[in-house]
Amino acid sequence: MTRARGLARLLPALVALGLAPGAAVAQRAQWTDVVYVPGRWTGGRIAPGPDSLALVMRVDYFAAAPRWRAEMRRTTDGQTMGAAQILMGNGQSAVVVTQLGTTPLDQHALGRDTLVRALVVFDQSGQLKGPENGRITERSAGGKVLRVVFRRAVRNPSFDTALLDPGNRAGGRTLLASGIAAVGDQRSASVVATAGARGVDRVKTPGGEVPVTPDTMAVVRMERFTIGSVALEEFLRAGGLGAYAAPPDSSGRHP
Amino acid sequence: MTRTARAGAVLGALALLQAIAAPAAAQSLLDRLRQAANVARTLLPISTEKEVAIGRGIAATIAGRFPVSTDEALTRYVNLVGLTVASQQPRGDITYHFAVLETPTVNAYAAPGGYIFVTRGALGLMHSEAELAGVLAHEVGHVNQKHVINQIRKSDTMREVKSQLDIQGGTLDKLVGTGSDALFTGLSRGDEMEADSLGLEYASSAGYDPGGLAAFIGRLDQHAGEGPVSEFFATHPKPDERVERLHAIAEREHLGGGVTLAERYRLNVK
Repeated sequence: MTRARGLARLLPALVALGLAPGAAVAQRAQWTDVVYVPGRWTGGRIAPGPDSLALVMRVDYFAAAPRWRAEMRRTTDGQTMGAAQILMGNGQSAVVVTQLGTTPLDQHALGRDTLVRALVVFDQSGQLKGPENGRITERSAGGKVLRVVFRRAVRNPSFDTALLDPGNRAGGRTLLASGIAAVGDQRSASVVATAGARGVDRVKTPGGEVPVTPDTMAVVRMERFTIGSVALEEFLRAGGLGAYAAPPDSSGRHP
Repeated sequence: MTRTARAGAVLGALALLQAIAAPAAAQSLLDRLRQAANVARTLLPISTEKEVAIGRGIAATIAGRFPVSTDEALTRYVNLVGLTVASQQPRGDITYHFAVLETPTVNAYAAPGGYIFVTRGALGLMHSEAELAGVLAHEVGHVNQKHVINQIRKSDTMREVKSQLDIQGGTLDKLVGTGSDALFTGLSRGDEMEADSLGLEYASSAGYDPGGLAAFIGRLDQHAGEGPVSEFFATHPKPDERVERLHAIAEREHLGGGVTLAERYRLNVK
């Protein structure tokens, strides 16, 4: 048996042990763009306002080149974020994903949306642009500010790359289902309805057993206390957190 | 035997050793295999739905031991900080809830399913939002790694559970009791260290000063022997060891900068 054939027979075992070089997966990248336009939300509309920016969209990108996925959530009133719209792509070929299937971006209404078009931009090698941290100001030819994008990359992305496949059955579900986007805007009623434990009336502590009176209503109050994703975005911006955090300093240290 | 076959045999033996990981040489292989099969049977997975049900019961127990604050502004602030760190690596199958417990006891608790508490006593010892973020991120780490759920899976009660359908009624109450006891008497040293690492990562990734958690833990050390912190010391690894490890991780991962937000903390936590 040649050495090459021997190695070929060994490969499955090496892959199973995670030792084969070929077992490495494509490099994951994940980043978030929070998009603002000049103006201020007033009564559900964006009114012109000097030196102010109105939040219009949050986009979470997931990529393992050449495949990528963008989950876009928009606000149309400045108060709440709508449900996610999902785009997926393989290089520059992009589709809109729904629960029912996929439609090429060019044939979908989103394909004519200038805001969406501005967010799906490719570099010279044909890869989706990103994910450098920082503030990106996009201007018209006349120098007028069109959009301001705050971008923040995730340091160690751990998402399942199978969800970059439009054919995946779970592809229509959002990756950030209840993590951040739904923290206040969408509660999981089914989970709450099936939860039924009352709690216990004695617990062990380092100082011995102590009696307790379970307070299920306090838990219900916790579940009903909601923070909208727009309110969370304002909190992040005011504190210079998340996408609004300072980019790495000159020594390369990440904040 | 060919070179390939020999290598295959070695790999097979390694895999078997890895699976069995026999510590006691005297124990027979058959006993070890039987024990491994028992452990595998006992460690029945717990679905998200059941995790939330158990978590609700444990949260109700925590809220029964210490009253939950009705201060809406403070609760809102703690939720905003908590969601900021939780959103760094969120579990997509749960929703995170945060609350303040009205007790001078210094501690924080994470019930399965995303129910997280911090005590008024702990808030009183913190100096900045970065410290609060570090503590809440540590608790999020416990939830994300299912530390309490994993304790419950090893319990005697779970030996009687054959499917998710069995996790209800009296069995559910027993599992809630096991989880509550685990929370109040302390998780393993390994779980605490893992939650420290994740807490550091989440808080730093959110843009906070990565030194927040270490600063808070270090300050607790100065209060050693005082009543309100005695339970914390009884249920967590030694503070100086944790602080040293946190600094080492931050250095190794090149974590630095970030915001402290001491003034915003002072304005929101009175």
